[in-house]
Amino acid sequence: MARPAAVARSPIPAFGSTDVVAGWEVSQTSRTSQGATLELIDCMPLTKVLVRGAASGAVADLLKTPFGRASRTLSGVLTTACRPEEWTLYAVPGSAPRLIDKVTKRVPAGELVTLLDITHGRTLVRLTGSRGPDVLCKLCGIDLSDAVTPTGAALRTSVARLTVELVRDDRNGVCSYLMSCDRSYGDYFFGALLDAGTEFAIEPQGFVLPGI
Amino acid sequence: MRLSLRPGEVIDRSRPLRFTWNGHDYPAFLGDTISSALAASGERVMSRSFKYSRPRGVLTADSLDPGCIVQVGDEPNVRASHRRVEDGMIASPQNVWPSLRFDVKVANRAVSRFLSAGFYYKTFMKPQRLWPAYEAVLKRFASGGVISNRPAAGYFDKRYAHPDVVVAGGGPAGMSAAVAAAEAGAQVMLVESEHELGGHLRWGGAHELSVLAELKAAVSATNSIEVLIDSVVAGRYDGNFLAILQRSLPGVTERLIKARAKTLIVAPGLIERPYVFAGNDLPGVMLSGAARRLINLWAVKPGTRAVVFTANSSGDAAAQDLEGAGVEVCCVEDARRGGDVVRASGSATLQSVECGDGRTYQCDLLVTATGWTAPTSLLNMAGDKPTYDERAARFFPCSLPEDVLATGGITGDGSLEQILEHAAHTGRLAAGRANVAGGRLRKGVPHAAPTDSPVAEEQSNAITALPVDAHVALFRGRTHGFVDFSEDVSSKELEAAVAEGYSSIELAKRYTTATMGSAQGKLEVVNAVAVVAAATESTITETGTTVWRPPYAPITLGALAGRTLEPVRYSPMQSWHEARGATPLVAGAWIRPDHYGNPTAEVRNVRSNVGLIDVTPLGKFDLRGPDAAKLLSQLYVNKWAKLAVGSVRYGVMCAEDGVVLDDGVTGRLSDDNYLMTATSSGADTLLEWAESWLQTEHPEWRVHITPMTSDFASINVAGPKSRTLLERLVENVDLSAEAFPYMRVRRGRVAGVEDCLMWRIGFTGELSFELHVPSSYGLHVWESLMEQGADLGIAPFGIEAQRILRLEKGHLIVGQDTDGLTRAYSAELDWAIKLDKEDFSGKPELSWQAERSDWPKLVGLRPEDVTVVPPEASQIVHDGAIAGRITSSRMSPTLGRPICLGLVAPHLAEPGTELSIVLPAGVRARAVVTEHLAHFDPEGQRLRG
Repeated sequence: MARPAAVARSPIPAFGSTDVVAGWEVSQTSRTSQGATLELIDCMPLTKVLVRGAASGAVADLLKTPFGRASRTLSGVLTTACRPEEWTLYAVPGSAPRLIDKVTKRVPAGELVTLLDITHGRTLVRLTGSRGPDVLCKLCGIDLSDAVTPTGAALRTSVARLTVELVRDDRNGVCSYLMSCDRSYGDYFFGALLDAGTEFAIEPQGFVLPGI
Repeated sequence: MRLSLRPGEVIDRSRPLRFTWNGHDYPAFLGDTISSALAASGERVMSRSFKYSRPRGVLTADSLDPGCIVQVGDEPNVRASHRRVEDGMIASPQNVWPSLRFDVKVANRAVSRFLSAGFYYKTFMKPQRLWPAYEAVLKRFASGGVISNRPAAGYFDKRYAHPDVVVAGGGPAGMSAAVAAAEAGAQVMLVESEHELGGHLRWGGAHELSVLAELKAAVSATNSIEVLIDSVVAGRYDGNFLAILQRSLPGVTERLIKARAKTLIVAPGLIERPYVFAGNDLPGVMLSGAARRLINLWAVKPGTRAVVFTANSSGDAAAQDLEGAGVEVCCVEDARRGGDVVRASGSATLQSVECGDGRTYQCDLLVTATGWTAPTSLLNMAGDKPTYDERAARFFPCSLPEDVLATGGITGDGSLEQILEHAAHTGRLAAGRANVAGGRLRKGVPHAAPTDSPVAEEQSNAITALPVDAHVALFRGRTHGFVDFSEDVSSKELEAAVAEGYSSIELAKRYTTATMGSAQGKLEVVNAVAVVAAATESTITETGTTVWRPPYAPITLGALAGRTLEPVRYSPMQSWHEARGATPLVAGAWIRPDHYGNPTAEVRNVRSNVGLIDVTPLGKFDLRGPDAAKLLSQLYVNKWAKLAVGSVRYGVMCAEDGVVLDDGVTGRLSDDNYLMTATSSGADTLLEWAESWLQTEHPEWRVHITPMTSDFASINVAGPKSRTLLERLVENVDLSAEAFPYMRVRRGRVAGVEDCLMWRIGFTGELSFELHVPSSYGLHVWESLMEQGADLGIAPFGIEAQRILRLEKGHLIVGQDTDGLTRAYSAELDWAIKLDKEDFSGKPELSWQAERSDWPKLVGLRPEDVTVVPPEASQIVHDGAIAGRITSSRMSPTLGRPICLGLVAPHLAEPGTELSIVLPAGVRARAVVTEHLAHFDPEGQRLRG
């Protein structure tokens, strides 16, 4: 008997019926025609690649994303720099080998660079909606105003008592946050965000390609 | 009695409500407070006092009202002059027995001369053995209502905020300041303790109501003002960190806002001060503000015949309001012309008032307007020490930090227009200062490209101060009365305290408990200071005030606790464990399967078939770089330089004092890439420890250490049939003993999943393979193993079985078989310690330990009684002295007898030594030191198979 194909699963339990997208089991999206005004998406299938290297090295030159910022410097890739000399690249599902290869080729021999596919080790969610800051301010002590945390801001902070990498990444002019934490906290983290967002009518949504 | 429509009334007469008070049904309107509704129905007694059980009624008609503390449902200490009536509400008096009308504690009054300050301290100290009896009786007299044993229902929330300006106080000054600050570009949070904005304008005349309407419209029209009503700034801390308690939210019982304000404007207005004289607590005696609020906000006629004792415009306005409400004002006693009130008399409520010149009036209402207290709490919390102005007979702010401003009545008097102008200037100044502070903050915000946006310049600080009006200094009259209505402390008791030597206001406060009741001193402190000053023949300035500390207003425990945020960690296989009824084990933040019903059977199955255990929480780290081996050598006591690619090695890590810190195995995956493991509980410590060495001691080393614990789902496949099982699922790796021997690592495809790591290690003492698979496929691999192993007798096993298995094999657990004093040699790790290495953490201490022989040793112990398992931590005694302890013990399913590890004195560590173990209840058990730590398969033939 043939073994079932390996399906990747998120640490966030599926809500509603599920589908398989790019080899991942994902919850089916349930958007209304108008779209939810505040939604929380399980973005676990997105590729996540950790890059560590010197701030003055070839990797820094390649990624062009200073500490505290996020930008789209490689085609279709969101590069974030939440810690000094460390970047996380977010890209479409299944692109880790290509991405690692692409960066590796640009690093001169002898330069210490670590490239790790951390897709499976980090929970990744996206909170989108104008009330997003109202949800986060119940869980996070950071000043989320446009002046201090504008779109493109990237930081590592405490959200719901977890160490979270928080990236302000607005979509079509609507406030949006990409947040990642250690995978093992995924279920708890998603629940904490939903709980905080209940009074703002938050809706959980499934992952849809390309997702980044 | 309810009056006809008032222009500023807050009740909705089209929304009648019913509620229960003291077991009887009462009417109310939407917008009524409990006390206003009761007053409208003619009720005047709303509580009994704390100590003497005196009847009490409305005094202030606001949240401070000490005579209106009631029970609502199962919620005690509700402020009846603030809490609005809800339909069907059940309210009752508290601290009365058997009833509000007749309370047995009224007997206290007969012995009141003995109940002065310090009575309890002095009386119930001795004999000490009678305290339980005293306590039982005194509990009957304690106030505070009845608290439910059930957890509070409702949603208690917390949130953070970073407003530019917080305005504490939503009266005219606060509103004006907020609007001005917002118009100057600031994000403003306007906090008002009442249910509506407006302060004293709400119960004022036509002009005040007109100004209020304009201010409200301005606030509403300004998007950048967040209005919080029924809320209070409860505390101000360093850096303008403010605790704001917010109520009256839909779906949220209470919310604690932690605000980091760039500027704080304190605009709380003034609190009307009671006057101290005989009978000043009788129901029917109230402050001018209370009378005006009852009349103008709730359309309640507070009495029928009144005396007004006034020293200011508020009293004058109250007299006018009373007359306008149809109350007969039989006397206006004007303190500005030397008038005074010396006594109020009545049995349960006011019946007559005696003035200073001996005139007596029969009446049911006495309204006093004798001065103001500046609620300077937030300013005190900001470091200010307010000064007393004798001319105005009240305290004023003195020296404020840059980020705190004050406006309104707390800073001076003047016309309404002057106050509004002062507040507007203050608001603009606050916005300017916030902009400067924000500019400094924005300078530190990372940008995509360097910016050179200038930091805003601070604006001029010049604000014309408000005038200060003279006011008659009225605190206590010629008779004694209550200073603290909440605690039943009279001026006579304060004088007695001074006479007993408690002449400092801080000592007198604590001795008498004056200012320590529900009003928190806001009504009482100036009178208390004045009484103490008079008793010590000093001035109010010399006497000083008590210290105001947070919280400014009471906060419920629910608000402090907020929502429960307790992070928990789950492995990718958690849903499978739950579905199989695994008993959870809380291990730090991790939730792990302790067992699946029968740990003994799980042990037997591993020894005879094959078992699976979820070891995902095992700490895992990726080490990369040419100096990775140097880091490993620094961290571990053993050697790493010659570890071959494809091999794994057990390592022991010590702190600088030589104490065992952690252990684990590390595999070399390529020339400069290692995967290092740590204990589940030690993973965070290990990362900090490694980073500490890298960042502070050897920054020149070229190595990155990256935590990978959650990147892999880790599954240990253990048992004699484990190889057979894996051969069905593993591709591209030769699993034979020759090709993949013990302590080796391979990378391959498992159940169709690429990039899985397989380690040949054996914590259980069995042939076993530890699989580290990408976490998202963990459940898939686990389920595949279970499916493919069905005919091999596969079964999961939990932590308890693993602990038994490793104990049978004599493998130690750091933290279980070692403690905070156990150096590596004590843990029988001599074989691993390489003192010939150039350096490693703990080497000096271990070198010193190696030269000595007086340290305890970890040994295997075999109890003689095969039916008794000595509990862990049992003492081991020898020659009447403590000689060690049991570190681990279990009944071995494999051997059919108890097995132990223990730390013992060195002279008792020789194999064959007989030891005595102290069991619970003092029974002794004998045990023999074994030759090896391992009780089972000491040669390790099974795990090397």
